[in-house]
Amino acid sequence: MIEGFRLGAFSRGTTLWDGLDFAFGDAAAWFVTGPPSSGKTLLLSILRGERRPDAGDVVVSGESLYRGNAALTRAWRASCGHVPEQTVADARLTVGDLFRRSALAGGGVRESDRKDRTDRLLEMVGLPGALEWRIAELSISERGRARLAAELLRGPKVLFCDGLVAGAGVPFREMLWGLFRALAREGNTVVLAERRIPERWALAAGDPEPVGPFRVYRLPVPGAGVKGGPG
Amino acid sequence: MSGQPSLWWIDWRLSRPPLVRETIGRFLFFCLLGFALLSLLLSGGVRRFLSDRYTITAVLRAEVPSAEAEGLARKVAALPPVRSAAYRDPEAAWKEFLRAYPGLDPLRGAGGNPLPGYIELRIRPDRLTGADVDLVVSALRSVPHVEQVLAGEEGLPRLLRAGRLASWVCWGIFGAFFAGFFLVGRLQERARAVALAGDFAFLAERGVPAGRLAFLRAAAAAVSGFLLAAAGTAAGGGALFLSLRKFPFLEGVIGSPSDLLLPRTAAAVALFSCGAALLSAAASLLGWRAARSGPE
Repeated sequence: MIEGFRLGAFSRGTTLWDGLDFAFGDAAAWFVTGPPSSGKTLLLSILRGERRPDAGDVVVSGESLYRGNAALTRAWRASCGHVPEQTVADARLTVGDLFRRSALAGGGVRESDRKDRTDRLLEMVGLPGALEWRIAELSISERGRARLAAELLRGPKVLFCDGLVAGAGVPFREMLWGLFRALAREGNTVVLAERRIPERWALAAGDPEPVGPFRVYRLPVPGAGVKGGPG
Repeated sequence: MSGQPSLWWIDWRLSRPPLVRETIGRFLFFCLLGFALLSLLLSGGVRRFLSDRYTITAVLRAEVPSAEAEGLARKVAALPPVRSAAYRDPEAAWKEFLRAYPGLDPLRGAGGNPLPGYIELRIRPDRLTGADVDLVVSALRSVPHVEQVLAGEEGLPRLLRAGRLASWVCWGIFGAFFAGFFLVGRLQERARAVALAGDFAFLAERGVPAGRLAFLRAAAAAVSGFLLAAAGTAAGGGALFLSLRKFPFLEGVIGSPSDLLLPRTAAAVALFSCGAALLSAAASLLGWRAARSGPE
């Protein structure tokens, strides 16, 4: 369970939001929407333990990320996967490099496993044989899917995706819909931040919980009960 | 490759082509540096050159029999600072004289050979010091068969001082190149750390401590620095060995090829490799720090 208590963020001289409470239960897929410049990326950074909130705290499984043990925060980060909206630094890499780097971060992925899983994951996200392709030459959709596949290589317990669904484009939404629900069914937690939720997903998720400038949806996971929700 | 990927050799895993280029460059540099190091070690700077040219001549009395003179030469050769002691009988001395001053044969006409026999001594390169020369000279002067000792004592201190200065200059140039290796290595490490900043940020974001990354990079740099220095010096030593075999006149300046295999030479190479390892690690850490603190 990832809980945010009275979270506040100040940016560019103004208060983006303050006093927000979140509770993202385990084994679920969460969809956070918000208007442009509302601080969605910032919220994900705070939840990942990357950026200390200007107010409030984030508690993961009962431990504070920002007031507790640094080793715990590192362990939390190691258990997370993150697909950013964009990274300029990756342009020089190939898709294969993303997987190699992800395996390094994981530390527990055997080289032989990596090769097998890389092929399977690339096929799953619709990029078979893309190992040698350069990131700079990929479309936004392909970059997002390649990064997602590379993160999944480590088998993260919690996956944060920023703008992935919008970037992936309509043809791959169904794949992502199935993937996120499958991940949640297997006990993982997925937190997605987007400007808008696809209409069909919104209908399936039901009414969102409004939290400050955000709307938090819980995607339905077959065979799972509700464990938590926006505060 | 199998097994779990570790953060060891992380630069190699993330950025292979530039690292290969750097490694080849460093190896070639260490080959040259190793060649220079071994040449300096064997030659002692210019000491061997000086010792090859500096001789002490013990002029013997005219009445000393050859057998006794040769016995004396053997005894003198046993003195610790002496590399060689050769007896030249009066006849050999006369021939040498004529070679040096042709046309003076008539000098011998009246009273026979006017030149006495002598012992020519050469000092070991590592013992070519004022104290050791004094030791040999005083030992020779105390022998009744010796009439005169020619050791150039007036000019010797100046010669030794010049030799020391020349050696310092040689070692200084070597040190400057070694320091150059450090500075260039630091710039290369910094450039690589900047190029891989995105990857390091990626890893840090996923729970890999930055300090651990810096430590492992420095450790890998130290190991590769040691191995490259050892391999480069071995290659340089091989080239020096072949050069000494092919051009024997170099032995007079540098030394014998067999000296390359002496334990003290191997120890010096090991020390040099350790120094290269330390400098490589320091260059890695400083490059990492500079890359993280932004442009200088």
